[in-house]
Amino acid sequence: MATASPTRKVVGQPVKRVDGIAKVTGRAVYAGDVEVPGMIFGRCLRSPHPSARIVSIDVRRARALSGVQAVLTGADVPDARYGRMCKDIPILAKDVARFVGDKVAAVAADSVAIAETALELIDVAYEELPAVFSAEHAIRQGAPVVHREPVEVFPNAAVGIHGELRMYPPIPNVISQLIVKHGDVAGALAGAHKVFAHSFAVPSVHQGYIEPHTCLVAVGADGLIDLWIANKGPHIARAHMAATIGVPESRIRFNPVTIGGDFGGKGSLMDALLCYYLALASRRPVKMVMNSFEELTAANPRHAASITLRSGLDRDAKLVGIDARVMFNAGAYAGFVPVPTLHGYSELGGAYRVPNCAIEVLRVYTNTVPCGHMRSPGSPQISFAVESHIDMMAHEIGLDPVELRRRNAIAEGDLTPLGARRRHLRCRETIDAGARAFGWDKPRAPDIGRGISIYEHPPGAFGKSTVALTMGANGRVTVTLGSPDTGTGFHTIAGQLVAEHLGLSFAEVEVEQGDTLSTDFEAGASGMRLTTTAGQAIAAAAEKMKQALAALAAERLNCAPADVRMEEGGSFAASGTRIDLRGLMSWAAARGKAPLSCKGENTPNRPNDLTSFAAHFAEVAVDRETGQVRLRRLLTAHDIGTIVNPLTHQGQIEGGLIQALGQAMSERVVLKNGAVITAHLGDYKLPTTMDIPELETVLLPGDSGSGPFATTAIGEMSNVALPAAITNAVFDAVGVRLSELPISAEQVLAGLGTKARAA
Amino acid sequence: MRTVKLTVNGKPVTREVADNRLLVEFLREDLKLTGTKESCGVGVCGACTVLLDGKPISSCLALAVHADGGKLITIEGVAEGDRLHPLQEAFLAHGGYQCGICTPGQILAAKALLEANPRPTKAEIQHWMMGNLCRCTGYYKIIESIAAAAGAE
Repeated sequence: MATASPTRKVVGQPVKRVDGIAKVTGRAVYAGDVEVPGMIFGRCLRSPHPSARIVSIDVRRARALSGVQAVLTGADVPDARYGRMCKDIPILAKDVARFVGDKVAAVAADSVAIAETALELIDVAYEELPAVFSAEHAIRQGAPVVHREPVEVFPNAAVGIHGELRMYPPIPNVISQLIVKHGDVAGALAGAHKVFAHSFAVPSVHQGYIEPHTCLVAVGADGLIDLWIANKGPHIARAHMAATIGVPESRIRFNPVTIGGDFGGKGSLMDALLCYYLALASRRPVKMVMNSFEELTAANPRHAASITLRSGLDRDAKLVGIDARVMFNAGAYAGFVPVPTLHGYSELGGAYRVPNCAIEVLRVYTNTVPCGHMRSPGSPQISFAVESHIDMMAHEIGLDPVELRRRNAIAEGDLTPLGARRRHLRCRETIDAGARAFGWDKPRAPDIGRGISIYEHPPGAFGKSTVALTMGANGRVTVTLGSPDTGTGFHTIAGQLVAEHLGLSFAEVEVEQGDTLSTDFEAGASGMRLTTTAGQAIAAAAEKMKQALAALAAERLNCAPADVRMEEGGSFAASGTRIDLRGLMSWAAARGKAPLSCKGENTPNRPNDLTSFAAHFAEVAVDRETGQVRLRRLLTAHDIGTIVNPLTHQGQIEGGLIQALGQAMSERVVLKNGAVITAHLGDYKLPTTMDIPELETVLLPGDSGSGPFATTAIGEMSNVALPAAITNAVFDAVGVRLSELPISAEQVLAGLGTKARAA
Repeated sequence: MRTVKLTVNGKPVTREVADNRLLVEFLREDLKLTGTKESCGVGVCGACTVLLDGKPISSCLALAVHADGGKLITIEGVAEGDRLHPLQEAFLAHGGYQCGICTPGQILAAKALLEANPRPTKAEIQHWMMGNLCRCTGYYKIIESIAAAAGAE
């Protein structure tokens, strides 16, 4: 069957989102909004010590409190430990507490207030143990060891990693050590015209989703376990839950709920296992909502990192080699991360052609809040280092920072520094378009500076996606997805793709999320994979639907399926006869042949070499008296594919940029003696409407994306590299180099003072 | 316990509440109006914004008894039946939301703005909305949405 529509009708349109009316009217149902009969509330008691042996726990007074339905300690729950890759997170701390905030006991009660009163009645005797807070200290011989017992690791740890990976090597507190070598970096640096070495530090930041981690667990009389949980990948989470509690997946149902922001932070089960054991113990459905204090002090924020880079340039200012060492502070548990080390390591050579590269990446336990994934895990930290480093080299050799990047940016067919192939890449064109629109070369007023940073990353082609389509007797289609829409607009994108494939209007497509029993495996939202990977599953499902329709039409029109043409507006024609879709489907329904159902799936089997690229430009004004940095304007330029929905596409760009702005200007998880002291949103400074500068976006659409209709990824393209553009602009303005985030007036003022004394 | 009498979204409500019952708990748990969201619990994020006698307040900081005798508007009372408020239409058309968890608070804060200042400048919108955090959108499209609704009214 041939499709006769040369132009796209739905893909490319700024259609209103399928979840829109529910969200603007307050009808969207988040996990916290779900109530089931008999539901009670769980709260947990957390360790006040960063490292302590639990000597005894007395729960008698808590159990005796009226309204308390269950009290659990480590002794009451199985010894099973949970983790998405490294299984090291106990359901409740057993013998030791490993960070300030580690869960040591839990209560389920008729109200949150009763549960919290009961927590105050639990007496825990601790014996404080030596603790370690920085990754640098933790890897020294003789450092306090955070996990003494061996940790089980999923056997597929090395999949997708292209170097030498060692899990739990014989270095104190090291979770993983990755060494990647490409070419001969020692030889290259020895022969370089100039060699540069710089070190950088990036603190932990919080994902900042406004909806806290929430779960509700109900165990039915038939043994079916129902969950309503703020989780971005229900099928994977269910598999982990089943493995940890020893129950078949078929007895666990994750029910669809709206997710109130994820940004990588909601991939784990968080409190759900504890909530399950509270539900078992109390024989009641139990809801647990982390309060804002717990979110900021004891969830799974971004890893802090320290990064040292040593690079060489030849006489033409071409990079000849990069030697990089990164240490990620993982906090007390590794299990919130589904990979052995953060994939940002692959950005260690930046978006540059570097023939020789050697990297070492350590992920290290400390007695601090456990860290997890956050939007492009590891990349913002590494990008800040690489993009500062490149800028410092440019200034040291007296070359324009844009020119140094243009000269070294990878181009069509090049290998990345770690040896991955890239195609259809327009780095130079994007840098040039951005620089031109930004007025990079225009004269600057005193104390005004401009900075640039660049980033490339391919869309996520990994994990399995499955999509189901059902066409009813009225010709309308329902798309059933196994992944939630974490806020990005994916459900709407899915609807648009289906409509486009089948020649329907967007209004004729219904999008729903199924539960984990009614849908097949779907890996969910992560690593910019949904539009690309689930998008191709949608394409496969739509192709089957078209074939089924052609077969029906052939039967109706008395011809061979190959002779049926699908025409614009959804009618079918063959040698002079024609039937519209609605007519065909009602004919089929009358004969018991409708609704039509089909499934499509996609499991990409090789890494994606079609990539996305972004260049960011920032202009700042620096006040020399106070050190204050004011961001005057931003420009973001993107090499993109087909845009499915301009509204959500631009929304991803803007939202990502302002998250990066937070990391650059104000956000920092501050630790004191291992405890997070930025413990509420008054102290932890998310950007507000008053912090956003004038923004211009430059898009270079192309037709080479690897997603359906040549789409490419956008979700993580603007939240990574921006901070270095801003600190590079500060250097351009007043000559002060910031090698730590976030930017503070104190740091700038101190830098100005150092310069003045040196002059 | 005290008796509170108020109107919620135009409907009279009389309830017995504990003296220390938070307004957000009263709305979400007692009245089952779950469109109002609670996040930071300390009056910083604005997710729990409701209008009491036309003024935006953080329902996580107010007690239910504070609303006694008042007129309360929550997100469930912004549309008239199926007819969306111009702000709701504008948030849909301009992409002023993503995950949606802050959206009820954003729309109510914006509603109070437009009632106080029907033709705000962009700078006035930015200033007024600074108490409503959003982690998804970067705010540009929220500001655009409010400006568009102001133009439409």
